[in-house]
Amino acid sequence: MMGGARAWREGLTTLWLVGPATLAMTVLIFVPVALVAMLSFTDYQFGARTFNWIGLQNFADMVSSPLGRRAIVNTLIYAAVVIPFSIILALLVALGLHRLARRAGWLSNTLRAVYFLPVAATLVAMAIAWQMLLHPTIGPVNTALVALGLPRQDWLSDRGLVLYTLAAIGIWQSVGYNMVLFLAGLSAIPASLYEAATVDGAERPWERFWTVTWPMLGPTTLFVTVITATTAFRVFETVATLTKGGPAFASDTLVYALYREGFVYFKAGYASAITVVFFIFVLLFTALKFRVLESRVHYR
Amino acid sequence: MRLLATATALMLTVGTAQAETQVRVHYAIPTIWADVQQMLADAFMEANPDIEIVIDGPAESYAEGVQRLLRESVAGTLPDVAFVGLNRWRILEDRGLTQPLDPFIEDEAAFEAAGYTGALRSLGQYQGQQHALATSASTLVMYVNPDLVEQAGGSMDDFPTTFDGVIELAAKIDALGDTIDGIWIGRHDWRFQSLLGSYGGRPMTEDESDITFDQPAGIAAAELYARFVDEGGMKTYGQDQARQAYPAGTIGIMMESSSLMTRFIEAAGDGFDVTVKALPVAAEDPSTVYFPTGGSAIVMLSEDPEVQKAAWDYITFVTGPEGARLVVQNTGYAPTNALVLEDDAYLGDFYKDNPNAFVAHQQVANYAGPWYAYPGAEGVAVTDLIAAALVEITEGADPETTIKDLAETVRGELGMK
Repeated sequence: MMGGARAWREGLTTLWLVGPATLAMTVLIFVPVALVAMLSFTDYQFGARTFNWIGLQNFADMVSSPLGRRAIVNTLIYAAVVIPFSIILALLVALGLHRLARRAGWLSNTLRAVYFLPVAATLVAMAIAWQMLLHPTIGPVNTALVALGLPRQDWLSDRGLVLYTLAAIGIWQSVGYNMVLFLAGLSAIPASLYEAATVDGAERPWERFWTVTWPMLGPTTLFVTVITATTAFRVFETVATLTKGGPAFASDTLVYALYREGFVYFKAGYASAITVVFFIFVLLFTALKFRVLESRVHYR
Repeated sequence: MRLLATATALMLTVGTAQAETQVRVHYAIPTIWADVQQMLADAFMEANPDIEIVIDGPAESYAEGVQRLLRESVAGTLPDVAFVGLNRWRILEDRGLTQPLDPFIEDEAAFEAAGYTGALRSLGQYQGQQHALATSASTLVMYVNPDLVEQAGGSMDDFPTTFDGVIELAAKIDALGDTIDGIWIGRHDWRFQSLLGSYGGRPMTEDESDITFDQPAGIAAAELYARFVDEGGMKTYGQDQARQAYPAGTIGIMMESSSLMTRFIEAAGDGFDVTVKALPVAAEDPSTVYFPTGGSAIVMLSEDPEVQKAAWDYITFVTGPEGARLVVQNTGYAPTNALVLEDDAYLGDFYKDNPNAFVAHQQVANYAGPWYAYPGAEGVAVTDLIAAALVEITEGADPETTIKDLAETVRGELGMK
């Protein structure tokens, strides 16, 4: 009898503690997601008074239309370039700065701040700077190329090149952030492990990296990979400010297509379908990453 | 004593009259419009103390403005009148949000005499009904760099008035150097419609049941794009880059919206004298020529008859000569009331100081025509397909087959087959 009342009181306390947060999460996250999922099965036009249920038509259109497919392929290419490069470059920079910190701390700190600048700056503002730099006739990049005797490039208007230009800007943007994460990972490796490695005969830097640094950075690398991947799949600002998906859809990506369909074309139903696909994309990817990598990551 | 009583009575009537009707106004692009909107509202309220104009916080762009209006229509909080992009009021009309203005116009002949010419009225008409009235206008013009023309051996006084002549001159300018480009035009629906209009073509049939830009006029317009690249030295960079390059003095002839005039003159500074020339008219019968007009229009959204009357007063003030004068002097757009061009009393001094503006504004008055928006759910989406086809043409695709394929695709997308 007494136990029942106590359980009841505890239950009430639990409800009191988690209730508000659960309610907020339901109203602010689950309900909108459910609404978007529902809209993705309709032909709803933004501002229209009625809509029709059209089943999976939106999803079929996305896969069958050349534009939808192009957006998906472009996003995959972009991610395939940005993910490895921004991780490898960030690791190299972090290793360099970590070594440098012992000999010239001030230089290391200055460089660290410089590498971090692109992260701290607003990407939209920086995109305008990139636009000037990459200008085909009056931009410094092409001027430098010509001075070196190389041909000019239409960085942002050549259909074969534009996606890689955006990828390069994406890498430039994320290297600084990943570097900070790697630096934190590096400084957490206990010096005793390196001493032990030396005792065991791992003398050369390369051996020390493979036997100590890389395994100990496992959790950091996993985290960096997931973060970089989700940012790469979400690429939007540079596309919107620099190319608007053009020329001729050559730099159209999933999230930009979503914005275009929903907010420029007012096709809310179709845009919702893209959102659902994108959501599943990121969710699956994250789950897969954790499952595959977690078993191989060396946790202490 | 009696004086005091009269004064009190007078104040009371004024006091009550002031609160009589309120008209809520929506507008977009505060960087251009914020000051002008306030001036228009103040000038109107001074003349009509019984109507209060309340201006909503502006939207950043016309696209965003329409989105907001659609959201407000769902929430039931639409403003009473709205300034929207000239190519966007159809989105509101399509959803039944705009109130037809014909019942308010009543006498068409008198309306015409008040400066609302047929060309100007056509900007806000759909299927014979007046849904919007233009409040500011711009058409495609040629921005010329006179220094480059001079260096290339051309003459500003004897500037070519045909596309052949323009391309020939562009080729000479292009030959001046590696970083100098002869000509540039945006690969964009509106620019294409402008060239099409110069050949007397239309993008669609009158009843909007079929695409017509694959007829000879449209193919001629598409071939211009190919010739600009092949002969005139046009590079394929995008709009933002071109808008940086022209003021920097590296483009000889740039075809762009007349609304950019002030911006270009400021950006070019002492570099060179930005000079505006009218677009060539290519059709044999000039009466078929029109240039699609960008800019803004005002629509009535209120469903309350009382508010509608006040809103109509505001609309006629804004689009009348007094409103047009304020818009022209403060935005760089062309007027949408013919009286200000005919009567020197309104803007005579302004045009004496701004000969470039006079060229651009005359082109609007002579050739203003609707900027066709394609009907239906895919209407906006097909304009991107048109732009993509123009990109292909400038990169070497055959103009005729590309335009014919495009027309077929667009027909399919719009359900015209």
